[in-house]
Amino acid sequence: MQRTDVSRRQFILGTATGLLAGRVVRAQRSDLTAQHVVDRIRAHVGVPWRDATIDGFKAGDPATVVTGVATTVMATLEVLRRAAATGQNFVITQEPTFYSANDDPGNRAADPVYLAKKAFLDQQRLVVWRFSDHWNARRPDEAATALAAALGWSGNRIPEAEQVYHVPETPLDALVAHVRDRLSIRGGLRLIGQPGMRVRSVFVSPGPIAVSSAVLNLPRADVILTGEPREWEAVPYVLDTWSANRGKGMIAAGRLVSEAPGAQACAAWIRSLVPEIRVEAVATADPYWSAGS
Amino acid sequence: MTAQEIVVRIQKKLLEQGIAWRAQTVDTFKAGVPETEVKGIATTGMATFDLLRRTATAGRNFVITHEPTFYNHTDQTAGLEQDPTYEAKQRFIRDNHLVIFRFHDHAHALKPDPLVTGSARMLGWTQYASATEPRLYVLPPTTLRALAADVARRLNGRAIRVVGDPDMAVSRIVLGPGYGVPPLTPAVDVSVGGESPEAGGNAEYVSDAAAVGQKKGMILLGHMLSEDFGMKEVADWLRTFLPDVPIEWISAGEPFNAPTASSR
Repeated sequence: MQRTDVSRRQFILGTATGLLAGRVVRAQRSDLTAQHVVDRIRAHVGVPWRDATIDGFKAGDPATVVTGVATTVMATLEVLRRAAATGQNFVITQEPTFYSANDDPGNRAADPVYLAKKAFLDQQRLVVWRFSDHWNARRPDEAATALAAALGWSGNRIPEAEQVYHVPETPLDALVAHVRDRLSIRGGLRLIGQPGMRVRSVFVSPGPIAVSSAVLNLPRADVILTGEPREWEAVPYVLDTWSANRGKGMIAAGRLVSEAPGAQACAAWIRSLVPEIRVEAVATADPYWSAGS
Repeated sequence: MTAQEIVVRIQKKLLEQGIAWRAQTVDTFKAGVPETEVKGIATTGMATFDLLRRTATAGRNFVITHEPTFYNHTDQTAGLEQDPTYEAKQRFIRDNHLVIFRFHDHAHALKPDPLVTGSARMLGWTQYASATEPRLYVLPPTTLRALAADVARRLNGRAIRVVGDPDMAVSRIVLGPGYGVPPLTPAVDVSVGGESPEAGGNAEYVSDAAAVGQKKGMILLGHMLSEDFGMKEVADWLRTFLPDVPIEWISAGEPFNAPTASSR
């Protein structure tokens, strides 16, 4: 029965889009559902699908026919509105949608903001699927490769260390300026280390960073470029390393801005799997401004 | 008096205040010899390498820290044994006969929580504390921009981050130091805390609230700027029952530099 509904809706959409650009018409001739798109992703992701995973449908009906895919770092209401406005009814997000790590609204189940977001999702018949564990399990690390590319370092990877890149020798503060500029950072960037220290190599680790990764990789690079280090883990480790006169530093760029190039890469990869559907990344901005500014 | 004897005195005092020592706790000795004779106590937000140096210079040898010493919540050192930073820190602790004890779980158990009242005192909010809600402060109306500037000035913070419309009206503030800033609700304007995941929490709530015309804000002080000052309150509390030991609070300080003007 659901199948019939979907077909009828698809017919109506197909008729309406006959007036639009050819690319859009081509996109909407597909009868792929969100579940079909996920099946293709699972078949090609190249890592075994985990039993326990945060990846999965977070809103909407998986049987919905997909008119377009929007990848994003985080499915904020603004991102959902922009996706809906451009006919992208399937949102694939790296981060949670409902204000908690497992998307359980918890105490916010009756919160007006949560309810407004749910209502928008329902009205627009959007589908939200989280793609984080498995995307981040791909090797080489897709988000790191994309972040390095966004900073202009693609050809500079050190072969023997997976996410370490040579950079033309620069003072740390000039590197910071480059990162801020390329990633359109407002107030979210924080720094550990001497602004004048000379930097020749960077360990690129977007998103959160495990302290074990910082310990393993800091000997291989002058600076760690990450998103969101824990302040009782990697932060004091790098701080102590600096105090121990090992001349190291860390740039904490912010979780979302550091993962944004990865969301673009994710769109390109999914496009290669579902060429019949329009797939675009929807950007999120640095949420922070600086209290000192 | 030895460090071990001081810990026993702390446990006894807590019991008098109705707080039994927990069987499962991270509040344990992290480094040094508990039988060491204590020359002086330094309380701090975090026993960073830099903090240990300043403590030794000040002639204190017993560090009571709120946060871990070895970069994870339970101070596991597996995987760190060959690390030069860890080795240098341990060597410094040994060479200077320092003893490090963590006081986290039982500090938060004190009533009122000194980590909250310590931050409130530094922020100048003590007089605005709600009589009924433990972490709620009702300030004279201001804007998020003005509030953030005042907070940065009072804490001398370099890397305090803010989410929300700078011009939004602010009065009701929930203050929650450390990790996992209090969730924003319809009942509060701004959540102020230490550190909080940028995804799966308040940052996305602020964005979504703005999208439906509700103004909310969050100020992230950083973990240390939110808890360092609470350990000053703990020093004051220790002095009430350890009058014969020199006790001082030594600030761990903010770990971050803001980007310099030239990198803006």
